[in-house]
Formats: sequence, C-alpha cells, structure tokens
Amino acid sequence: MHIAVFGLNHNTAPIEIREKLFISEENIHDVLNSIKTAGIREAVILSTCNRTEIYFCSDNQDKALDIINNMLFNYFNIKQDWIADYTYCFQDEDAYKHLFLVASGLDSMVIGEPQILGQVKDAYRTATLQNATGFFLDKTFHKTFNVAKRIRTETRIGYNPISISSMAIELSKNIFGELHKKKILVIGVGEMSEIALKYFKKEGLNEIFIANRTFQHAQKLSEEIIGAPCPFQEIPELLTKVDMVLSSTGSEKPIIDKTLVHAIMKKRKNKPLFFIDIAMPRDVDPGVNDIENVYLYDIDDLKELSQKHLSDRVKESEKAMAIIEEEKSGFTAWLKRLDVNPLITHIIGTVDRTREKELRKITQKLKNADEDTLKLVDILTKNIVNKLIHPHISMIKDNEDPVVVDIIKKIFSFEGEDENKMDSGNERE
Amino acid sequence: MNIYLFYIALFFYIISTISYLFCLTVSRKIIEKLGHNFLLTGFFIHLLATFVRYFEAGYTPVTNAYESLSFFSLCIACFFLYIKRIYKMEMLGSIFLPVLTIIFIIAFAFPTEIKPLSPILNSWWLPVHAIFSFIGCAVFLISFFVSIVYLIVEKKIKKKRFSPAAARFPSLGTLDSINYRCISYGFIFLTTGIITGSIWARTTWGSYWSWDPKEIWSLITWIVYAILIHNRLAIGWRGRRTAYMMIIGFFSILITFFGVSFFLGGQHSFI
Repeated sequence: MHIAVFGLNHNTAPIEIREKLFISEENIHDVLNSIKTAGIREAVILSTCNRTEIYFCSDNQDKALDIINNMLFNYFNIKQDWIADYTYCFQDEDAYKHLFLVASGLDSMVIGEPQILGQVKDAYRTATLQNATGFFLDKTFHKTFNVAKRIRTETRIGYNPISISSMAIELSKNIFGELHKKKILVIGVGEMSEIALKYFKKEGLNEIFIANRTFQHAQKLSEEIIGAPCPFQEIPELLTKVDMVLSSTGSEKPIIDKTLVHAIMKKRKNKPLFFIDIAMPRDVDPGVNDIENVYLYDIDDLKELSQKHLSDRVKESEKAMAIIEEEKSGFTAWLKRLDVNPLITHIIGTVDRTREKELRKITQKLKNADEDTLKLVDILTKNIVNKLIHPHISMIKDNEDPVVVDIIKKIFSFEGEDENKMDSGNERE
Repeated sequence: MNIYLFYIALFFYIISTISYLFCLTVSRKIIEKLGHNFLLTGFFIHLLATFVRYFEAGYTPVTNAYESLSFFSLCIACFFLYIKRIYKMEMLGSIFLPVLTIIFIIAFAFPTEIKPLSPILNSWWLPVHAIFSFIGCAVFLISFFVSIVYLIVEKKIKKKRFSPAAARFPSLGTLDSINYRCISYGFIFLTTGIITGSIWARTTWGSYWSWDPKEIWSLITWIVYAILIHNRLAIGWRGRRTAYMMIIGFFSILITFFGVSFFLGGQHSFI
C-alpha cells in the first residue's frame, strides 16, 4: 500500500496554469467519483488558489498515476508538457511529509498562514462524505491534523500577523482590549481602507464613520458596510468621539497635525486614540505619536513590523520542520509495522470495503438525513470496525501463537501473498 | 495544627507559581487551568489556616511579622482571584503568584509560634482596623505591578517594537481599567483603615491622632491616592500618569507598612 500526492502549487506553476487546474467544489465530486471508479482505492482532492493536489492511496502507483493523468486530460483542457513542467509527485514518506508541510502552512505563499489548515480539513471532509477515503488516508489525514495542531501550539509560527489589516487589528486590540464597543473613523475611501475596514467590521465595531473629500464616495462605502458618511469638515468634531482613525487620503500635506490632536485630547479627557495612517504621503503628522495616550502607526511602521514578523516565522519554521521530521519518522514506523504483514493490510482492506458497501446501502435509505448525520454515521461505522479489528491486528503484530494467526487468516479468508487480487476485487464490486 | 495548614497552603502556592511561570514559555490552556486550581486550593487552605489560628490563639492573627505577612499574601491571593474573575487575565498570574509566594515564604522566616496577646491590642477594633488596612495594601500592591506591566506595554507600542500576540500581554485598556478598579477599592479600604484606626486610638490612647510615624505615612499615602483620584476624575489622568502615580503611592505604602514597623518605631512597631 502506497500513499502519494500529485499536484502543483504556487512554487511550481504560474497563476495561469493554476487557474486552469483549479477544481471547484462541485467538480470535486465528479473527479473523486471518476478516480474511484477507475480503481484508485482512496483519494482526497485539495484545491485552493495556490495549489491543486490529489492525495491518493493504491497498491500500484504507476497505474494510479496514469489514471489521474488521464482524468486530468479528460476534465481540463491541458497540454501534455504541462505535467512535466509544472507538477510534482511525491510518494510514501515524501507524500505525507508534504501534506504535513501544507497543513501547517509551511508550504504556503505567506509562511505560517492559518487558513490552509481549514482548507485541508474541508478537502478531507468532502472526500469522506463521498466515501473516497479509507483506512490509510483517514489515518494519514488525522495524523496531519495532529501534526498541524502540535506545530501551532509548540512553535510561534502563526503568532504574529503579517497583513497590514490584521496587524492594525492586533495593535488596536493591544491598546483597547475588545473592539466591539469601539468606534472608528475612516478618512479617505480607497481600496486599502476598504479591505482594512472589512476586517475591522468582523470585530464587531460599535460605530463606523466615513469621511471623504468627495462626499458621494463616502456615502457609497457607507451603504456597503453600514456606516455613517460624514463631511470632511467634521473630522475635528468626530475625533473627539472615536477611538480609532484609519486614514488613507491622497492628500499631499498632513490633514491631522499635532496642535489639533493636542486640543482634541483635552476634550477627550485623555481617552486613548489610535491612528492608523496607511496613506502615502502621510496624513497624520508623525509628531502626534509623542502625545500621551495617542498612538500612531504609519504604513512604514506596519510594513517594518510585518517584515519582522515574517522573519520570526521563518525562524520558527525551523522548529516546525524538526517536529515534522519527527512525526514523519513516527508515522513511517507505524505504517511499516502494518506493511510487514500482508495479512494486516488484507484485514484492513476487507473490512473497510465491507463497511463502505454497507454504508452506501444505508446512505441511500437515509435520504432525509443532513450532512452532519451522515458524517456521524460514517464515523460510527469506522469506529466500530476499527475497534473490532484492533485485537486481531495486535495479535498478529505481537506474533501470537501461529495457531491463533491461522484462525484469523481463515476468518478473513486470507490466501497468502497474492495481494493484487484485492485491488482487482475492488473493481469487480 | 494551624502551622501545618499554612505549609500546605504554601505548597499549593508554589506549584501554582511553577505552573504560571511555565505558561510564559509555552501556551498550554491545561497548565493555566492547573495553575488556577492550585491557586484556588492554596487560597482556601490558607483561609482555613487563618481561621484555625484565630481559634487556637483566641485573637485575629495579624499581630506579629509572621501573621501580618501571611495575612497580607492571603489578601493578595483573594484580590487577584477577584481580578481574574472579571478580566480573565491569566498572564498576570505569572507576576502575582511569584510575588505572593515570596511574601509568604518571607513570613516563615519570622517566629511562627502563638504568643499571648499584648493588652493594648486586645480589642474588637483589631480585626476591623487590620483587615481593612491589609486589604487596602494588597490592592495597591496589585496595582503597582499592573502599572509596571502597563508602562512596559505602552512603551513597546509607542516605540513600535511590539509584536502583538507574541507577548500575550493584557491590553492597555484592560490594564488601565484594572488600575482604576484598584484605586477605587484600595482608596475605600485605606480610608476605612485609617478611620477605624483613629477611632481605636481614641478608645485606647485617648486621642484620634497622635502624629505617630505610621500615622504620618499613612496620611501621606492617602494624599497621594487622593490626588490621583481627583485628577483622574477631573482632568482625565489616565494611562501612563495613573501608572506613575500608582508606583509612587505604592512606595509610600511600603514605607508605611514595613519601613515604619521595622525602622522608624512608634506605637505600631509590634508588626
């Protein structure tokens, strides 16, 4: 039994190619089905904007690769030389090491980003709901989730944010604590401020004021995100009310200077005020930062911090690599113990096929059940099966009395070395 | 009997301290929880020990150095548990647990046996006056450390050297609001402590105020905190200025509480 991964990512393929090979949520079902009917026992498809990867498990890897290549030619309009130019294929150790790397964000464009783990989990869930996974990929993916979790807790790889928006939010939280009762003033409508504002919105801000020289633009954005549009002249008045200011106008000169902020802080009774100035040239006089209880971060500060966080992550990734190597060896050893004995592989394969067959029957009957229920049923059957075969497998592993092993062989109708029979048996089903 | 209970309480404080310090290096929810539970256990045993000692001695155990320091650390534990309930700031445990454990350990350096109570202390005012004063001091001790953390975090944010999530520090807003709570409670306790003390003085010594060093210093402390409260409410002194004032106020407390007893003498020198 071999685990392998075939695919491409942001390092090996340009965006034009990745776009072509992107497999959307609806298509994943079809692709998984066609892979399964072609005879690959287990498969999971992970397709995001940075990568498309197919994890699979079969007895004959060359045959399986052919199947996948054919499927790709059928589904996507791709050229023959793309496969050689842009894709990679890892087997066994390298395959699950790659999966560990991907899930813990070490293979991502922005190292250590957390979304990828959720995407891997979704990919796996989609595959399980399709009954496309079995014993081996189940174990591999569960191991992966453990490894990713371990890396999150034992290293600081995902600790500090990298993007300007999430850093602005982290900083605000460090100044104010919770943000849900806070008010923000946005000066200048632009792409950057819009993105940042969406992030802030998620934190559940109390009120959002939007001021812009062209009032109509402020109105438009206000409608989009439910804020209050304000005329530009009202800014000094608003500064006494809000907690945070996000500024990104195209103004040549600073629009908020030190004397203004001094006067405002008196009116505010020194309540803290946080300026996030993402404009170039700057909107807020840098001297403002010297005033008590006023904090100012401009775009350079944020970029510098981002650089620092990135290099921290790179440092932390060494620790993460060590964890991955350790887990990889552990998992290899575990797989080897299974593999030494063709009888174990046989038992696992047999019961898993039976389980799948029965599950398929039941799923057809449970037409009204929602996804959660089906998933629970799936987990339930898996758990029962695993618990039931566990004593047999440990008996074989512990080299029990040959008589006992013979009995086990008979129970599971095992006929010796001829393992390939099983795989063809699968197709017959 | 009571001394064994005090030792058990100390043991729990120590393992709680170790857990909290361990939390600084690795973030594990389970260890934080352990630290909290050890603290809670230590606190209740400590409380029980104090009651047992009360019954064994026949008076409120705040009359010598050992008893005072032990009671002081009990107050810190109590107020810290209260702050934690409101703000859920586990990180502060890594500061307060070592502090209260060290104070408790220092207490054991003094004679621990129960001695007969000196007649001037034999009054119902003893528990009232002492408990209020001790809680007041414990509250201000907490605000002292909170202020130091505030100044560190504030400086890092201002100088733009801050790595937001890595440090797991509480936010400035939270720290300032803990500080505000501390001033409000601490000031009430301190004032009550001074008033009850002066009434007691009237009943035993015949006058409300006799310019004893302890009295002078507690008045100075009271004035420092009164200025702080006034300025905070009237002209919005918050953040860094509150923190500085809290630190000054705490030094004044240190002189009142320890300095006077150990070095300046006077009528309070028994503790």
